[in-house]
Amino acid sequence: MTSPYLHINGIRKTFGDVVATDHVELEIGEGEFMTFLGPSGSGKSTTLYILAGFQDPTAGDIRLRGKSILQTPSHKRNIGMVFQRYTLFPHLSVGENVAFPLRVRRAPQAEIAAKVKRALSLVRLDGFEDRMPGNMSGGQQQRVALARALVYDPPVLLMDEPLSALDKKLREEIQYEIRRIHQQTGVTILYVTHDQEEALRLSDRIAVFNRGRIEQVGTGPELYASPATHFVADFIGDSAFLTGELAEVKDGRATLRFTDGTHLADVPMHGPGARGGKAELMLRPERIDLSDTVGPPGASLPVTVEDVTFLGNNSAVTARTGWGDPLYIRLNFGHPMMGSVSRGDKLHVRWQPQDAHVFTNE
Amino acid sequence: MLMNFDKLGAWRWILSGICALMALFLLLPILFIVALSFGNSRWLIFPPPGWTLKWYGELFADPRWLQAAFTSAKIAAIVMVLSVAIGLLASLALVRGRFRGREVLRGFFLTPMVLPVVIIAVALYAAFLRLGLNGTLPGFVIAHLIVALPFSIITISGALETFDPSIEDAAILCGASPWEARFRVTLPAISHGLFSAAIFSFLISWDEVVLAIFMASPTLQTLPVKVWTTLRQDLTPVIAAASTLLVLLTVVLMIAAALIRKGKSR
Repeated sequence: MTSPYLHINGIRKTFGDVVATDHVELEIGEGEFMTFLGPSGSGKSTTLYILAGFQDPTAGDIRLRGKSILQTPSHKRNIGMVFQRYTLFPHLSVGENVAFPLRVRRAPQAEIAAKVKRALSLVRLDGFEDRMPGNMSGGQQQRVALARALVYDPPVLLMDEPLSALDKKLREEIQYEIRRIHQQTGVTILYVTHDQEEALRLSDRIAVFNRGRIEQVGTGPELYASPATHFVADFIGDSAFLTGELAEVKDGRATLRFTDGTHLADVPMHGPGARGGKAELMLRPERIDLSDTVGPPGASLPVTVEDVTFLGNNSAVTARTGWGDPLYIRLNFGHPMMGSVSRGDKLHVRWQPQDAHVFTNE
Repeated sequence: MLMNFDKLGAWRWILSGICALMALFLLLPILFIVALSFGNSRWLIFPPPGWTLKWYGELFADPRWLQAAFTSAKIAAIVMVLSVAIGLLASLALVRGRFRGREVLRGFFLTPMVLPVVIIAVALYAAFLRLGLNGTLPGFVIAHLIVALPFSIITISGALETFDPSIEDAAILCGASPWEARFRVTLPAISHGLFSAAIFSFLISWDEVVLAIFMASPTLQTLPVKVWTTLRQDLTPVIAAASTLLVLLTVVLMIAAALIRKGKSR
C-alpha cells in the first residue's frame, strides 16, 4: 500500500512551557469524514490550525498525498475551512462571497458564475446570490461559508466547531445537511467538535483528544463498545465507574475485589495492571439489566434500589452497591421490572460479559 | 431603562425645556453670525435693519480671501489623506499587534489630544524655526497632522476592533495573500471608519486656528487665520460672511459623517 491520503505525522506544538499537542499521529483516507472530539484545550483545534497553516508545529510533519504541506503558506494550500464564528465578508453579497476564492484565482467569469450557482445549490441556497450576509440567519451564513469553502474543490475541508453558535434544533438540521454534502461531494473532511452526539452522527471515524494527545481512534460503535481508556469511556456515552482492587490478573482478564469483600471474576481488562493495583469497573446504564435473580459470576452485582424516576420511554433507576457506590440503570418501557421496582428493593444488576470493562490507567 | 421618559409627568416638560435652552445656547452665536452676514449694517447692528448679499459679493471679489480658502482646502486635503494612511497603519499595529509597550504606544499616539494646543504650537514653532518650515505648506500639514492623527487612530481602531480577524483568516484560506486579504476584505469592511477618520481629519485642519497662526506667513495663511487677522484690523461684515461659509462646509461634512455612521448601524 502506498502512503495515506493525509498523514498527520507526530505533530507536537508547544507555547512556551505549555504543550498544546503531543505526538498527534493520524492517517486519514481520501473521502473520509474524520472528527476530532475532545474537551476545550485538548489540542484538537491546534491540530486543525496547523493543518490550515495558521500555526507552525514545533515538531512533526503533515503530508497530503505523500507531500509535506508545512512549507506552503496558508493561501497556497488550497484547503477549505469553515470557522466557528461567522466569517462571511460583510461588504460582499452572498454570490460575491462564494465567488471570492475563484476571483483571487483569476478564474474566467463564465466559470465563476457556473461554479457559484452550483455551490449555492449544493447548500440549498439557490437564488440567494444578491442577499447581504448581515440580513441572513446564523444557519444560512454557515451554509454560505460552506459553499465558499467548497467552491474551489479543496482536497481537504476543515470545520472548526461550525455549529457551536447555533441553537440545538438548527444544529441538528445542518448536521444532516453536512452529512448529505459529504456524501454528495466525497470531499475529505476534518471536523472539530466537543459534542459527542455531533461526532457520532457525522463521522466515519472519531479521534478522541485529551490533554494534547489522541486517546483512541475508531468508528462510533468501536469507541462505544470497546473504549481504550477511562477518558474515552467517560466521553462517549454515559457510564458509571466502580472503584476496586485487582485480586487476580490472568490473560487480560481480571478478578476485582471491592471494599466490602464482593468479588467479580473474569472481566476483560484494558491497560496494564498487577495484583493489588487499583482498577475501575465501567458499566453503561443502558447496557445493564435489573433482575431479582443472581446472574452468572463476573456479570452480576447485588444492589439496593434508591430512587426510580419515570421518564416516558424509560425509567432511570439509581441503586447502590453493597459498598455504597452509586449505579445508574435505564429500564426501557415494557421491561418486566418496570412498575414493580421501588425504593429499598434488594435486587441484582446483570450484564453481558463483553459490556463490562476494567481500566487500570488514570 | 432606568428612567422612562413617558412616565416622568411634569418633569418631562422641565427636562425638555432645559434641553431646548442648551441647544439654543450652543446655536445662538452661529445663528447670530449667519444673520449678521446677510444684514446691511456696516457696523454689525443686531437685529439687522435690512438684508443684503453685498458682503458675500465683497468676499468673492477679494482674491486674498479666495487665496486663503484655497490654502485651507489644500492643507486640509493633504492632512486628510496622510492622517487616514498613517492612522490605518498605526491602528493595525495597535489593534492586531502583540508586542511589549503597546498600551504605552497607544497613549503616546493620543497625547496631542490632551496637550494644550498652544504648547504644541510653541514647540513646533521653535522646532520649525531650525528646520525652516515655518510659513511653508509642509509646516502647516505636519502641525495639523499632529492634532488630527489621534482622532483618526481612535476612529479606525474602533472600526478595526469590531472586525473579526477570523474573517481575514478566511480570506487567506480562500487563496488571497495576506496583503490581498487586507485590501479586498479588511479595508472595505472598515470603510465607514476610514471615511469618518477622513472627514474628521479634514475638519480639524479646516477650522484649526491656533497652530495656523503660528505657522502662517503674510503670503501663506488659512481661512481661519485670515478671519482672525482681518478681525484685528477692522470690523467688517465680510468676516461674518466668511465665517458663515466656514460653518456651512463644517455642517455639510458633519452631516456626511453622521450619515455614514447611520449607514453602518443599519
